[in-house]
Amino acid sequence: MPKYSLLFRKKDCMGCHACEVACKQEHSLPVGPRLVRVLEKAPDFIPIYCHHCAKAPCIEACPEKAISKNEMGVVLITKELCIGCMACVDACPFGAMQFFEEEGTAVKCDLCIDRISMGRAPACACVCPTGCIVYGQTKAILDAMVDG
Amino acid sequence: MEDIKKIKTVCRSCHGGCGVIVHVKDGKAIKLEGDPDSPISRGSLCSKGLAIIQLAYHPDRVIYPMQKVNGTWKRISWDEALDIVANKFKEVINQYGPESIVIGQGTGRDYESHLYRFANLLGTPNVLTAGHMCYVSRVGATLITCGNLPVADYRGGPKCIVMWACNPQWTNPDEYKGIDFWDAYKKGAKLIVIDPRRGFLAKKADLWLQLRPGTDGALAIGFLKVIIEEGLYDREFVEQFVHGWEPFKERILSHSLDWVADTTWVSKEEIIKAAKIYATTKPACIHWGVPTEQTINCTDCTRLLSALMAITGNLDAPGGNVFYVPPPVRKVSDFACHKELSPEQAKKRLGGEQYKLASRVALITPKVAWEAILTGKPYPLKAGLLCGTNPVITRANAREAYEALSKLEFLAVVDFFLTPTAELADIFLPAGTWLEQNHVADNWKRHGFVLARQKAVEIGECWQDHKIFMELGKRMGQKWWDTVEEALDYILEPAGLTWEEFKKKGYLQGQMEYYKYKEKGFSTPTKKVELYSTILEKWGRDPLPKYTEPPESPISRPDLLERYPYILNAGLRTPTFFHSANRQIPWLREIRPDPIVEIHPDTAKKEGIKEGMWVWVESPRGKVRLKARLNDGIHPQVVVAEHGWWYPEIKDPGHGWDISNINILTDNSHQSMDPVMGATNLRVLLCNISLCTEEV
Repeated sequence: MPKYSLLFRKKDCMGCHACEVACKQEHSLPVGPRLVRVLEKAPDFIPIYCHHCAKAPCIEACPEKAISKNEMGVVLITKELCIGCMACVDACPFGAMQFFEEEGTAVKCDLCIDRISMGRAPACACVCPTGCIVYGQTKAILDAMVDG
Repeated sequence: MEDIKKIKTVCRSCHGGCGVIVHVKDGKAIKLEGDPDSPISRGSLCSKGLAIIQLAYHPDRVIYPMQKVNGTWKRISWDEALDIVANKFKEVINQYGPESIVIGQGTGRDYESHLYRFANLLGTPNVLTAGHMCYVSRVGATLITCGNLPVADYRGGPKCIVMWACNPQWTNPDEYKGIDFWDAYKKGAKLIVIDPRRGFLAKKADLWLQLRPGTDGALAIGFLKVIIEEGLYDREFVEQFVHGWEPFKERILSHSLDWVADTTWVSKEEIIKAAKIYATTKPACIHWGVPTEQTINCTDCTRLLSALMAITGNLDAPGGNVFYVPPPVRKVSDFACHKELSPEQAKKRLGGEQYKLASRVALITPKVAWEAILTGKPYPLKAGLLCGTNPVITRANAREAYEALSKLEFLAVVDFFLTPTAELADIFLPAGTWLEQNHVADNWKRHGFVLARQKAVEIGECWQDHKIFMELGKRMGQKWWDTVEEALDYILEPAGLTWEEFKKKGYLQGQMEYYKYKEKGFSTPTKKVELYSTILEKWGRDPLPKYTEPPESPISRPDLLERYPYILNAGLRTPTFFHSANRQIPWLREIRPDPIVEIHPDTAKKEGIKEGMWVWVESPRGKVRLKARLNDGIHPQVVVAEHGWWYPEIKDPGHGWDISNINILTDNSHQSMDPVMGATNLRVLLCNISLCTEEV
């Protein structure tokens, strides 16, 4: 099965934060965990998000094997197995892994798995006004990046 | 999933326009998605629109009418509330005349048709809006110059875009959102950005001109001078369609480029380069924003920019600045019954003799309202109805606004929350959000569309604003319709549609025609583009546009520089908020928890300020505190503050209105305002900054 990826083209991110709110809504998240987040270092904007790494440090760091990768390449947490030790939060090189205080577990981008399994793009990519959030088959995205 | 209804509608979390699909379950909105079929937004949405559900179901939202009794808010019925307002208005009309009632709104929220209809049929000429310094001032200045507002025609394929003091992807989406701009830019249009801040677009630009705040008019004079001297203007257009070319040319050429460069801080080389790119790349459009209006140069600056469009042949040309053709529906101005306001009543418009352009577009500058309340001159204002506006936060000289509204004998407000302004009222009328209304939306905009905003849910006892004006109007004996939808049928009648039919279509677009002036001329007294304004001349004003140095700048007030060494731009907009709205929305406040003031790193170092520290910002009129954010994309002498801040989480009735409210610092004296429009100066004043060591 082909692998899928999400990629933010930083140069076209204008810091509108629509992706953040779309993500909160899609995952019914309160204030606290931010599965995607745009840092502002005016005039630059730096999107922080899960890269669903090929060799994911969060998976390796988890002592409970609560994090795994599915056949589409999506790195997922099995919430029931998470003990809230935050080893994955420390391990993530992108700062994308979040801790959900209310639930006492880690929480992360699931690439909007309910949407993508119906053939729809993730919520963040759908609302982005500059189209800087690209979703698709990993190979196609990487090829497109090479082409600019 | 069958129990989820999906309703197509149109957002209004800012001025509105983006297409939305609302998911409704058991009568409750549970989720929003962008509508990919929307001609305005094509599926994209912003943070404000996406957070509407948190606003609509917010625990602080007031969802039934209330009356303040002995300082405490008490729930009452709609009948009681409307009777109280109507009886008070009748009493004022009998004793003082309808002009002693002020009707007001804030930013454009798509109910001006109904608000103005109510005011005009009431007989009061005193309508208070944001229009003196935002958008309507642009409309007014272009009306007298070229007959209509020329809008950047991104769909017509501009090859050059001048983004002048504007960031349509973040804010200020008057005619349309940033989507069309972005498409045109991505297709390879050259981009010239004029902005004191190096923002996202400045980084993208072929040329970025970092001007001194408030000097846009002087820069436009520089552009015009280069274009005239180099002979880069459209001679045929100028000969046939410009009124007053010779005196205009003479006025422009009387300035030296050295003066322009010294005044604007933009080098001569950059001015020449930018002017040449604009004049020689066809077609080219200018998209300009409120910072050019929120100064003493409001009207003149818009007239100078219109002159640029005209003499380069870009007016009403595809890809230039055009007059979009609206769809065949009843205009806002017709619905609003402006003609029903008698000349005698119109004559009584506060400040009407002085601010003739404001009067021409049927509004008053807030200053004259505050004066009438506080001094009783030229006659007293006794009662008011304010809808969707928070002037104690958003208007210049906030302390005066607060004092005046506190003193007003009777005030009713229409809003979602008890804002600092609403807390000063006697009656609170709960408005429906855009999820709770039926309307032919965007009819006021000049982008050639009307859109179907249709009701997705009902919440509490909230009524859409339109219904409030309608029911109150009927109580005042005015002619209205039985239902909101019947009024929409009336608006749609010329298109041969009913509201029910229009809802299914989703939108209507006017049939665009370019170069309409070739047959009809321009809608001005001379039928030409009046670079020499016969109207301003008739009003005894300078008929030619000019640049006036802002009254509180390093040049006009060098005496203040020792105490107030920095230039304050007091109007930074940020994407999560819309003016004073949204500070209580959890998802949005998480993104922007604090009011920010941008300071250049060198300046911060000099003042002992570090990123994230609280800072006092002080002008000759007061001081407020904001959080420092360092930005090396602004001039070291310039400080940029966010506007619109209050603290809904502070529960006393002031809600922290004067803690971080940048309009505590701004000025609204008559001499600081645009002489014909009454535009307040929100963009250029002098300030000092210092570390705030008090516990916050």
